[in-house]
Amino acid sequence: MTRNDNEFQDGTASGSGTTTTDKFVFPRWTNRLREISAVAALGGLVYAVVLVYGVFSPETSAMGYAPTQPVSYSHALHVGAMGIDCRYCHTSVETTAKANIPPTSTCMNCHSHVRTESPKLELVRKSAETGEPIPWVRVHDLPDFVYFNHAGHIQSGVGCVSCHGRIDRMEVVAQDKPLTMGWCLGCHRNPEPNLRPKEFVTDMTWQPPNGEDPADLGARLMKEHGIAPSTDCATCHR
Amino acid sequence: MPRPLISIGLVLVALTLVPIGCIYRARHSVKGQPRIQVVYDMDNQYYYKAQSADDFFADGRSMRTPVDGTVARGDLRAGDPFFRGRVEGDTTFVTEFPVTVDQDLMHRGQERFQIFCAPCHGLSGNGNGVVNIRATALAEGTWTPPSDLVGQSVVDRPVGHIYNTITHGIRNMPSYKNQIDPRDRWAIVAYVRALQLSRNASLADVPADDRAALENLGTR
Repeated sequence: MTRNDNEFQDGTASGSGTTTTDKFVFPRWTNRLREISAVAALGGLVYAVVLVYGVFSPETSAMGYAPTQPVSYSHALHVGAMGIDCRYCHTSVETTAKANIPPTSTCMNCHSHVRTESPKLELVRKSAETGEPIPWVRVHDLPDFVYFNHAGHIQSGVGCVSCHGRIDRMEVVAQDKPLTMGWCLGCHRNPEPNLRPKEFVTDMTWQPPNGEDPADLGARLMKEHGIAPSTDCATCHR
Repeated sequence: MPRPLISIGLVLVALTLVPIGCIYRARHSVKGQPRIQVVYDMDNQYYYKAQSADDFFADGRSMRTPVDGTVARGDLRAGDPFFRGRVEGDTTFVTEFPVTVDQDLMHRGQERFQIFCAPCHGLSGNGNGVVNIRATALAEGTWTPPSDLVGQSVVDRPVGHIYNTITHGIRNMPSYKNQIDPRDRWAIVAYVRALQLSRNASLADVPADDRAALENLGTR
């Protein structure tokens, strides 16, 4: 716009005395304004969709949640390096809906004799002495209107690793899977690749023997044990 | 198109990449904060969940222990041999299993042994499990090596005694009654007996059919 003003001042307008000096003329590029704004609007819309999806998708917001725990317990050391079975501590996982957080006494099974002076275990020792629970922070937390049963899954041969990822490599436990309804249903509709013989559920690296396709083995296990995951609403929303 | 407008447009386009970058970072890193719930729905409802905390009770726990002097249905521990490993009404340890020992019990015992006992006593029961290896490597002053379960002293013990040790612990070994059910304790005792047998057996003790397989194993 300023350029047009200048043109009038410097050139055509001088001394002619016409009354057109304050007439505004759109510059030539504005002829394409309609196309430009259409492209911009379309781009903006696509951008908004990508942004909303990106921000709200559980892969962004929920996965990778790794809160700082009151005691810096390392699964990488206890499970990964030492090979202690999940069920040594999470004793109720095979028989109840909830995989329990172990009581302090389980820690003290070993730590009343091993690493008894470690400052990292200060809170554990205090808890054992006073009976005050350790305020562990929950990592995997489904909405309260969802029912999930650990025992049912373990007894069907769904490995821990299928939902929790490689816990044996985690210094700090992080949520590894989205844990959304769509993700649950994905497996309930197509469970074969996630099934294994029951005795290997806690094995983090288990693969079917002889290079068999996990889906083939899973299909066989489903038939053998009558595994038929439900997709009824009321299975989880009860 | 005038140059300033083009510049402004380019700057705007560049700025739109910033949120995209943030999202990319959020998707590929661990974070300490739980997800932001824009729509709260009924994600957090006011009812007690297992192991949750609540101010209502003095000890701050929502899970309660049974009232003193009461027993929950199915929790009555009647029967000294099965629940205490002792002769009924007596303090002597039973020498016979109060459960049927079969292949199922043996498999169960093997699995439970490997979960609960092997960390200290080792997969073969000789007392050199991972915890012992680590404790020895760390040169822990108060560490006493775990017993050799396949040694003569444990072989000589009645099954009720081994059961009692799992239940109440012994010397540095803590009680495992909260981690292992009575039936599983008996399964473990049965498996310990099998380990003892295997560690002190000769080839002649192996059924003729399996002998060849064992001999092949040795030469491989």
